[in-house]
Amino acid sequence: MEETLFLKREEVKDINNYDFPALKKALKMKQEDVIVEVKRSTLKGRGGAGFPTGLKWELAFKEAADKKYLICNGDEGEPGTFKDRYLLEESPLKVLEGILIAAYAIGADEGYIYIRGEYAKPIRVFSRVIEEAREKGILGENIFGSGFNFDLYLVKGAGAYVCGDETSLINSIEGKRGRSRIKPPYPVEKGLFDKPTVVNNVETLASAAEIINQGADRYLSLGTEKSRGTKLVCLSGDIRNPGIYELEFGQATLREIIDDFGGGLKNGSGLKFVVPGGISTSILLEDELDIPYTYEDLDAAGSSLGSGAVIVVGEDHDLIDLMLNVSRFFMDETCGTCFPCREGNRQIYHMLKWKKNGFTAKERQLIKDIGKTIHLAARCGLGQTSLNFISSVLDKFEDELMVRGDINVEG
Amino acid sequence: MLKVNIDGQNLEVAEGTTILEAAKKAHIKIPTLCYEEGLSIYGGCRLCVVEVEGENLLQPACATEIRDGMIVRTHSPKVREVRKTLFELIIASHDISCELNCLTCSRNGSCELRKVAEDIGITEIRLSPINKGYGEDKSSYAIMREPNKCITCGRCIRKCEEVQGIGIFTMANRGPATIVTTFGDKGMGNVECTNCGQCIHACPTGALHEVYHYESVWDVLHDESKHVVVQTAPAVRVAISEAFGDEPGTIATGQMVAALRRLGFDKVFDTNFSADLTIMEEGTELIQRIKEGGTLPLFTSCSPGWIKFIEHFYPEFLPHLSSCKSPQQMFGAIAKSYYAEKNNIPREDLVVVSVMPCTAKKFEAKRPEMDGDVDYVLTTRELAGMIKAAGIDMVNLEEEEYDRIMGTSTGAADIFGATGGVMEAALRTAYELITGKELEKLDFYDVRGMTGIKETEVEIDGLTVRAAVAHGLGNVRKLMEMIKAGKEYHFVELMACPGGCIGGGGQPIPTTDEIRQKRIDSIYQIDKNKKLRKSHENPYIKKLYDEYLGEPGSHRAHELLHTHYTARGV
Ligand SMILES: Cc1cc2nc3c(=O)[nH]c(=O)nc-3n(C[C@H](O)[C@H](O)[C@H](O)COP(=O)(O)O)c2cc1C
Ligand code: SF4
Ligand code: SF4
Ligand code: SF4
Ligand code: SF4
Repeated sequence: MEETLFLKREEVKDINNYDFPALKKALKMKQEDVIVEVKRSTLKGRGGAGFPTGLKWELAFKEAADKKYLICNGDEGEPGTFKDRYLLEESPLKVLEGILIAAYAIGADEGYIYIRGEYAKPIRVFSRVIEEAREKGILGENIFGSGFNFDLYLVKGAGAYVCGDETSLINSIEGKRGRSRIKPPYPVEKGLFDKPTVVNNVETLASAAEIINQGADRYLSLGTEKSRGTKLVCLSGDIRNPGIYELEFGQATLREIIDDFGGGLKNGSGLKFVVPGGISTSILLEDELDIPYTYEDLDAAGSSLGSGAVIVVGEDHDLIDLMLNVSRFFMDETCGTCFPCREGNRQIYHMLKWKKNGFTAKERQLIKDIGKTIHLAARCGLGQTSLNFISSVLDKFEDELMVRGDINVEG
Repeated sequence: MLKVNIDGQNLEVAEGTTILEAAKKAHIKIPTLCYEEGLSIYGGCRLCVVEVEGENLLQPACATEIRDGMIVRTHSPKVREVRKTLFELIIASHDISCELNCLTCSRNGSCELRKVAEDIGITEIRLSPINKGYGEDKSSYAIMREPNKCITCGRCIRKCEEVQGIGIFTMANRGPATIVTTFGDKGMGNVECTNCGQCIHACPTGALHEVYHYESVWDVLHDESKHVVVQTAPAVRVAISEAFGDEPGTIATGQMVAALRRLGFDKVFDTNFSADLTIMEEGTELIQRIKEGGTLPLFTSCSPGWIKFIEHFYPEFLPHLSSCKSPQQMFGAIAKSYYAEKNNIPREDLVVVSVMPCTAKKFEAKRPEMDGDVDYVLTTRELAGMIKAAGIDMVNLEEEEYDRIMGTSTGAADIFGATGGVMEAALRTAYELITGKELEKLDFYDVRGMTGIKETEVEIDGLTVRAAVAHGLGNVRKLMEMIKAGKEYHFVELMACPGGCIGGGGQPIPTTDEIRQKRIDSIYQIDKNKKLRKSHENPYIKKLYDEYLGEPGSHRAHELLHTHYTARGV
């Protein structure tokens, strides 16, 4: 099977050889028409939440304000996700183009690109892109003679996963503590410095640029009815060929992605399970992999597409070790604001840390209760999804993880 | 108006009403911990989560505004289950152990966690507590922090920042290491903390409390060689019986005096006496400054929270401060001079204890310029604790009178305990001293009440005296900025605590706006019922001047009753 190249069609790195066709096209359109085109494409945000991009732009466009901001979210903190790094390194000009188009559409004259602090190379590459774009007048006043002004600043991430959340990210850019804000108000109403702000993922913006460039019709011809277009899939774990693959939605099943693109499991090991959307999603077992890779099919299977990280786990891992690692990640990464997430993840970690011989029915119930509480009551997406992995492992490997004789006994 | 259905009750609410507020209207109590009326919404504890029809996840009632047609379930099985687990998690983070538990906690009678446990019906705790292993912050003379008990609800942070306008605390680190601490972890005694203690009222747990003096007071009470006298501030008598279950605002002066005698104090005196004395000195200072063209406006100096505030944030205004010591310290100075001499008690054997609504007075008593005149400062809460520990059924005691002569006072002294009271007392006296005429209307309603900044003008002998009053340091800062911007007054009263001392950091918990108002009402009631309502009419104050001090503002008065300040900066 071949990749479907929509975003990866060409890699654009040299500003002197790039014409910014999509941007030029957009600048000749009315703002509303740019939004209509993106709306028509049904593009959904690629940062994890899947919010319709055109609608987000429209909401921000309609806000009356003396100033608006556009923020490109390149924090990419979810383990196993590295597609934004790929785009920032290999197609930075496409990303810049997307930023400019979005800014133009919503009426922003200033923007930020927030790049994960550990991403030294993307930061270097993109800083140069910004400098060169300023020199060539692609950032600044009256871009391409259109009367549109826009400048862009790069902010290095502070190294916290939660800063990838749009409201935390806004706080972080404002120099405040990186923690989520209460919504509403949503960023499109009151975001950065209380001005209407659109936050979009790197991949979202690059896709938007290609949609303007190749047309929404081309995009709509790809994928399924509910998942249009293509997705950059980050394949990693115990497979032969890890990497970024661009796939049309519905083109392949999860199993095909693992076997055809990933080359199957390495070292001839068997497959234990797959994390289909990054460690904040629920796992799928071997016999659940024959489903098309789309938003709707993964949802129906009880998991989610998340940020596009498909992590394949082979047989020789210790389940409790894996849970402990994931738990440690979430415990350390909670921003600490809300009690269920901060204390729940702390407790789960402590429970797992001393676990060697399996769980009792009582412990099992406790973890379930904590999982439910965090999911239902946490303040932001980090907390709400933080126990998906652990709960699903416990559910699906009950036989293996419970103390013998304690299975299904109500504690 | 928006229509909403909460737990089957239909009601209409105004736009912008939160689910929490609407539920209250429907007489439904939703548990909260990080929410406090008057502070910004934090949305951290999540105890207030409710089911909203059409939403998968539960919504925080404190932060969610009613939308038209909303259907809300505040105590459905799902919600109750989540709340219980949530509560288990909170308790596990709160470090209850053998040596640190509810029984030994400063908040054993007023802990909000216990109230919440009762409200949501907790019957089991399945998680063992996690000891966070932090050290205590003992750097302050007034307030102590026990971070292991802190549940990081952020109420102290918001109280200090939003109401008091200071911002001593901050939330540091993330994840499990998240901690509330002082700026740069320097400790409360080493930052711009004013010691007002309002953060204690904000705290739902025992993580913040006053620095205790009661153990030392027990010691001296049992030491035969010591002569121990006690003074009680005006605001204590209208609040202390709350600690025994009485209605807020119950006046318990006589019962408290009786209890103090039973505790073993050799003399039970009244800070009101020295409040009358303060008016004589401060009134004289005001008149002098007006007549001789001194620095105006004159600022009152009886609130040590305000004193520390101005020393940090407006040191350039220090010359405006009255040089008068606070009533607490005036009392100490007179006790250790006049009283000691008259009764032949060697200074080293005389112990002066004060009972204050205030945590900042603990700091004040330790200021080097105060010469240790006041040995120990108990808060209202500490005294209530001692009375309980002695098995005294205070509220049912026969009323007793203060000892003479330092126990006699006028109504002008009583109202010191409420915002605007010092101003009113000073105006009563200044008017009569300047004009030599009797003041007809004694009540200055303009300066009473909970409005943040109050102003009044009084005609005295052809001069229009302009006065202003601010209480709560947030309002104090506003008024200071107005003055900085050129607003002119003659006399300004400033109190660190919202409502004045009746809302002080040492008062019974809870202290809410409603309770503050009730205490204020009682204070004015006491004043109204007194025969003498003007400080200069206090016969024993006259006697003190005749026998010992000479006249107000005399050399000796200055030596004993006046002080100086330190520019601290930030
Ligand atoms: C804990 C947390 C971490 C997140 N991290 C990222 C991230 O690294 N990159 C990203 O684009 N979006 C991240 N998001 C989602 C953003 O909040 C936001 O929805 C997204 O940037 C919007 O862009 P999109 O609509 O283009 O997807 C995160 C959300 C949460 C709750
Ligand atoms: S869910 Fe976790 S990360 Fe989100 S606000 Fe709460 S503590 Fe912070
Ligand atoms: S005592 Fe007053 S100034 Fe000090 S931290 Fe508490 S509220 Fe702030
Ligand atoms: S000290 Fe008290 S008020 Fe402050 S955060 Fe901790 S528990 Fe809350
Ligand atoms: S207002 Fe009263 S209680 Fe508050 S700090 Fe000042 S003197 Fe103390």
